[in-house]
Amino acid sequence: MDQPLRRIPTRFAVPIGILTFCVWAFWLSTQFERVPPILKRGIQPSDFPQLVIGLIAMLTIWLIFRDRSALPAPLSRHVQATIGLLLVFVLIAEVDLFLGLGAFAVLLAALWGERRIWALVLVGLISPTLVFFLFDSVFEVRFPRGLLTNFWYG
Amino acid sequence: MDSALLNGLLALADPHLLVLIFAATLGGVLVGALPGLNATTGVALLLPFTITMEPIPAIAILTTIYCSATFAGAITAILINTPGTSASATTCLDGYPLAQRGEAGRALGMAAVSSTIGGVISVICLMAAAPLMARAAYNFAPPEYFALTVFGLSMLATIGDGSPVKNILSGAFGVLIATVGIDLLTSIERFTFGMNELSEGIPFVPVMIGVFGISELLVQADNLHVERKPVVMKSIKLPSRKDYSRVWKTILRSSGIGTFIGILPAEGATVASMIGYNEAKRWSKHPEEFGNGSLEGIAGSEAANNSATGGAMVPTLALGIPGSPTAAVILAGLMVHGLRPGPAMFTDQADFAFAIFWSMMLVNVIFFFIGLWGAKIFARVTLIPIQILWPIVFIFSIVGAYALDQSMLDVWIAISSGILGFFMRRYGYSVVPMAIGLILGGMLETRLGQSMVMLDEKWWLMLARPLTLFFLVLTILALFGPMLWGRLFKQRSPLKSTGE
Repeated sequence: MDQPLRRIPTRFAVPIGILTFCVWAFWLSTQFERVPPILKRGIQPSDFPQLVIGLIAMLTIWLIFRDRSALPAPLSRHVQATIGLLLVFVLIAEVDLFLGLGAFAVLLAALWGERRIWALVLVGLISPTLVFFLFDSVFEVRFPRGLLTNFWYG
Repeated sequence: MDSALLNGLLALADPHLLVLIFAATLGGVLVGALPGLNATTGVALLLPFTITMEPIPAIAILTTIYCSATFAGAITAILINTPGTSASATTCLDGYPLAQRGEAGRALGMAAVSSTIGGVISVICLMAAAPLMARAAYNFAPPEYFALTVFGLSMLATIGDGSPVKNILSGAFGVLIATVGIDLLTSIERFTFGMNELSEGIPFVPVMIGVFGISELLVQADNLHVERKPVVMKSIKLPSRKDYSRVWKTILRSSGIGTFIGILPAEGATVASMIGYNEAKRWSKHPEEFGNGSLEGIAGSEAANNSATGGAMVPTLALGIPGSPTAAVILAGLMVHGLRPGPAMFTDQADFAFAIFWSMMLVNVIFFFIGLWGAKIFARVTLIPIQILWPIVFIFSIVGAYALDQSMLDVWIAISSGILGFFMRRYGYSVVPMAIGLILGGMLETRLGQSMVMLDEKWWLMLARPLTLFFLVLTILALFGPMLWGRLFKQRSPLKSTGE
């Protein structure tokens, strides 16, 4: 009985979130500089974004009244943990990008049920190392300096 | 034109390029066979690898991945009842029952033959239609281009499996993201929050990697329980003469349907395969066999989805309007390489355009042989545990996102886009329209501004221009037509598409 009642606000949560974003984006667009008519080349810098924001808001309002699609099931534990790992990656990558990649890869594999040591070494150590040397040597990509990359860059 | 045709062919005589195309075909088949990866994701992930290359090999690799990954979806569809790409979803319906009856080889043989014929026919159409379309577009002024781009965006309504309104909303969001950065018409900064890195706008490639690659990683996190068991396959068998006599009309019909659907802006191989399959069933003398292992079903689906690849490249190269989600990523690749798709491509860079056409022709022949003799090996690839596959895909995604501009901001953009894309998909908002909106947004605004200047700020004068009016009428039909053809949508709804 109380299941639908709990779900009614959830159904509106996404459209309301989009509308809130629209209000914020519209406000931001009102802060753009305006150019004198002689320089504006057809439209002011804020005109086009405001037109698009208006379209998004209009469609969202339509969705509030007409969208009856089923809500997704709650996020699974694995998805929540994977998103958490992405945030952990962001933090570790600040120290060293490849340290972050290796840590994320090994933790993700473990989280998803991989227990074999060779597989964890493959994804957490061998893969990031090979990718680093591939991009560094073949594609001449210079990666940001960090705890590990400093060993290579000196 | 003739010399460009010949020069394009001669460009392929480079052994280095031939090796690259062969390797990319193998890579594409691998991508198409791997669980969760599809042509769009594969092209997005491999785009950063092509940055340091010359334009011809770079774009040839991307189109090769596109063609071969689209074909390879059939391998997993037939052997493990899991379409490698959503374009092969209808192939499961008849391929897997055939495989269960011990006729996997015959099903794969039919898939390879019909895919190759469909692909070759569509490339021939591409070679003929793209220059013609480009020539017609020479007369387009900014209002016509604006209306054409609006039409291209309106076609997003029918893309994927989301509701049309949600698709348009997602596309509009992509267009809004495209407004970030310095306004090209007035040089005023917009939505940059004072960050210099954003002054050139949100880069396409990290967003593509995020919405197609990282969001799929999160989707896979929900699929850990799925078991994949391959059907035992004795040997690949080419279809018999009797089989050919039953399916040749279906192959030709589906090739035509696929090419036409591919040419329509934004519509890709998935829609083509569904319509191709439905038409094959409608015209068949044995419709009762469909769903129980019909070779016509496989031929109808596979010829259509592969022919859509060539068709999709027609508006992409001739007009700069992507013909499919994967073509949108290829369009981003063209832009990254400083190429400008559109009518000028067939005068200024005709050799390049025809080299791409020939490379697509070549790949259709290569994957025929790979499909016939390599399917057994690629079928094993489908059994790679996702616990090993996806961490490696993530490493490639992040390094690829970083490599383009060598900026950590691009990494954060890829991750943010991935998380956003996952939640969009979760709530029924396809990410494909957003990606296409991002690519076309800049063009849309520029054309609108130019049109306003040209028409002295009287926008309603656009309606007095016949071609502009024609495209706007098509836009209205694209937006509201599906309501009239509701049945068509009911046929599409069972398929959960991601990239295509």
